[in-house]
Amino acid sequence: MPSDIFSYREPSPSSRGKDGALSGMKMALQPNMSVRGWPTEAGSMALRRFVALENATVVERLKEAGAILVGSTRMSELGFGLAGDLTASAVSEGHADCALITDTMGESLVAASIAGLWALKPTYGIISRLGLIGLVPSMECYGAVAMKPQDIAPVMKVIAGRDENDFSMPDLAIPDFRLDGKKGNTIKTIAVLKECLDLLSDDEAALFRSGLSRLEQAGFSLQEESMEEFGLFRTVHQVVGSVEASSSAGKYDGVRYGHRASAAKNWNEMYLKSRAESFGMPVKAYLFQGAYFQFENFDAFEDACRIRARLVKAMDDLFTRVDAIAIPTRRKKHPAEKALSVTQVYDAFLLTLAASVTGLPALQVPGVMSDGDFDSGLQLVGRRLSDPHLLSAGARLRR
Amino acid sequence: MEYESVIGLEIHVELNCATKMFCDCPNRPGDEPNQNTCPICLWFPGAIPKFSREALEKASMVCLGLNCQIQERSAFDQKVYYYPDLPKGFQLSQAHRPLARNGWLDITGQDGKTKKLRIHHIHMEEDVAKLVHETEGRTPISLVDFNRAGAPLVEIVTEPDMRSPYDAMEFIRALRTQIRYVGSSDCSMESGTMRVDANISIRPKGTDQMNTKVEVKNMNSIRHLGDAITYEIQRQIACLQGGEPIVLHTRLWDPEKKVTTAMRGKFSGPCVPDPAVAQILVSQAWLNEMQARLPEMPAQKADRFIRQFGLTREEAVMMSAERDLSEYVEAVINHGIKPKTATHWLATQFLPALRERRQTIVDTTVKPDRFAGLLSMLERDEINANAAREVLNQLFERDDSPAELVEKAGVRQISDASALEGLIEKVLVANVSAVADFRNGVSKAMGFLIGQAMQASGGKANPKLIREILTKKLGA
Ligand SMILES: [Zn+2]
Repeated sequence: MPSDIFSYREPSPSSRGKDGALSGMKMALQPNMSVRGWPTEAGSMALRRFVALENATVVERLKEAGAILVGSTRMSELGFGLAGDLTASAVSEGHADCALITDTMGESLVAASIAGLWALKPTYGIISRLGLIGLVPSMECYGAVAMKPQDIAPVMKVIAGRDENDFSMPDLAIPDFRLDGKKGNTIKTIAVLKECLDLLSDDEAALFRSGLSRLEQAGFSLQEESMEEFGLFRTVHQVVGSVEASSSAGKYDGVRYGHRASAAKNWNEMYLKSRAESFGMPVKAYLFQGAYFQFENFDAFEDACRIRARLVKAMDDLFTRVDAIAIPTRRKKHPAEKALSVTQVYDAFLLTLAASVTGLPALQVPGVMSDGDFDSGLQLVGRRLSDPHLLSAGARLRR
Repeated sequence: MEYESVIGLEIHVELNCATKMFCDCPNRPGDEPNQNTCPICLWFPGAIPKFSREALEKASMVCLGLNCQIQERSAFDQKVYYYPDLPKGFQLSQAHRPLARNGWLDITGQDGKTKKLRIHHIHMEEDVAKLVHETEGRTPISLVDFNRAGAPLVEIVTEPDMRSPYDAMEFIRALRTQIRYVGSSDCSMESGTMRVDANISIRPKGTDQMNTKVEVKNMNSIRHLGDAITYEIQRQIACLQGGEPIVLHTRLWDPEKKVTTAMRGKFSGPCVPDPAVAQILVSQAWLNEMQARLPEMPAQKADRFIRQFGLTREEAVMMSAERDLSEYVEAVINHGIKPKTATHWLATQFLPALRERRQTIVDTTVKPDRFAGLLSMLERDEINANAAREVLNQLFERDDSPAELVEKAGVRQISDASALEGLIEKVLVANVSAVADFRNGVSKAMGFLIGQAMQASGGKANPKLIREILTKKLGA
């Protein structure tokens, strides 16, 4: 039933012209991506009945390029995890050619993997965040999910690029998403991390190894590598992510928009009650964790920031020896769609956190790591700004 | 036991930028409530702050004016607390990496000696919204005006170098002068563009211990600052003498009762680096550009006025204390007026006349060329001082030139000796007894006769010339 997938459907979806780069392409969004006039509740009571005042930069660019915005899908609260998120279904059930998913810890990759789709989580900072309502500014980005990589590249080409109104964008040269097969043939050596294998259960590891042989068959050379600190991505993501979430969510006080509790004795109580009623689990627990590090254990937060810088450097070092890293996208025993606590969420996204913490691009390829029963997805993490190269490597792999 | 006080100040200065610090809204807090707001300063979901270049420039000019070192790298943090004046649960402020460090200002101490007072650092931050509590009526309500939310501020934090209310007041005067000179703010405590909080502790005189300090807020003039510090020092001495310990807290100055009262502790939260506002990296080239924008500062200007115009130190300091005044006096002098005349007339006539009319040097219609025109007629003896004062008043009311006003008022001075001789002759005939007195050695009779002659001329005669002619005629 399509109405279950969408929280809002555009009554008369149309294209702004016939010769745009995305003319005729149907796109689904999440209700935390601002479209003027659309309900924008981001899956949270904290934004109850909130309607976007302006278009997000990404939305503006999609419309300009002729994309047909069909509606926004049901999503997890404020995009944290994937419980209740049906965005990928909009593509797998044929309502959209491509969907955008807020990606803070690999949500686009994992959602695509569950639905047997492709997804690209782009290099952090090449797409404007203006109008994206998220929780973790230093990690969140728009991930694109589609049936085939050929539908992802043109969308990325349209939405990536400097935005003079997003001062938080780093000064990066935007990659060229029009790469053809030959020019894009730059990814040759792919690393398999020992520490990553250590994280996997036996059957997960077996599935992963069988998929790796497909990589070799496709002409990639595999290289065993080691990154001692691989196990730290989870802790760093959780500490930094929860602290940023705690301060990002500070603005949800029920004063200017969203849910306001009734019958409070004074403003302080109004805040407490409104916020208590506004957030559900696991977001509420996540905000508490962030507040704990902010107020009670700031040293841990500072340590996490330092380790994060070290992890970025360790990944950059790794990319002097290899062109990409292969990691399974998701875990069989830890389904993201059923993760209802912070721990369950982090268990489910354990394998996609590296790209989020370091801001590197990652591609989810379906149909490679599959035993016919379960497809864990193949995740290729690449160098900063190598996004189109990942797409063409993925295409080669499935040819 | 004799005590001495240890005082440090925290000064918030609102920068006179055209826009707010992180959005394009006009920086006009006084407009109709909530007129100057947008999704950014109301912190609607999806908004991203856009740091204003002008705010950085104006803040940097403050730092340079206060002899601080601008840091190559500075960054914004989120000062987390929940209060209705803060629409996003945190205030953007530079807690960990301030814009500038290690500044100083000289003041003249009570002993007449120059005293160097150090500045620990200067950081930028955004102002918060204004709360209006309406307690009357059936249901008391609190209203929030977001016009001020996001207004650009700098906070100047001094070292605890001040030892008396006098030091603190002089420091604030010097700081105000410097900041007004660089043009970043008018620094008015009365109108709230400058807010000064004082941290005060006391210790036995001669020791160097640092005792528990008490913060005092809510002073809205430099005099109140002095009064509040004086009161707080006395209060702390009384506490110690009564065996009561000093506890760390904040007190509010009550200007009516002239006392400080303890205020409820404000919750202060952590400061987390902000992930959305880019770090500020300052290049040497940019710094040079800012340095080049720095005007001649008051201390150098006073030295130059002494050197170039022969003013006394006192005159030079007075004329250079405000940038507008210093530029005005220099313009008048450049119109050919003697520096002493310009200084004297500005101080004794022009400034009081401005104050009386509630005008400022910037907005008055009596521009330097008109004032200089009047003074040059005075210097050329075309009018006398009385007439000059009268015409000055008219300059404020009309647009005519000084010469036209002199003509219309008919106060052009009679400096024609032959015209005055006949008039003086008549005065001598009419005041025989005064003439006799003078000849008998009563010297003040001369003054009387000059007065009579001035009166006979309708105030237009040149008094110097009258004295000359009288002296000659009386054969003195
Ligand atoms: Zn604004």
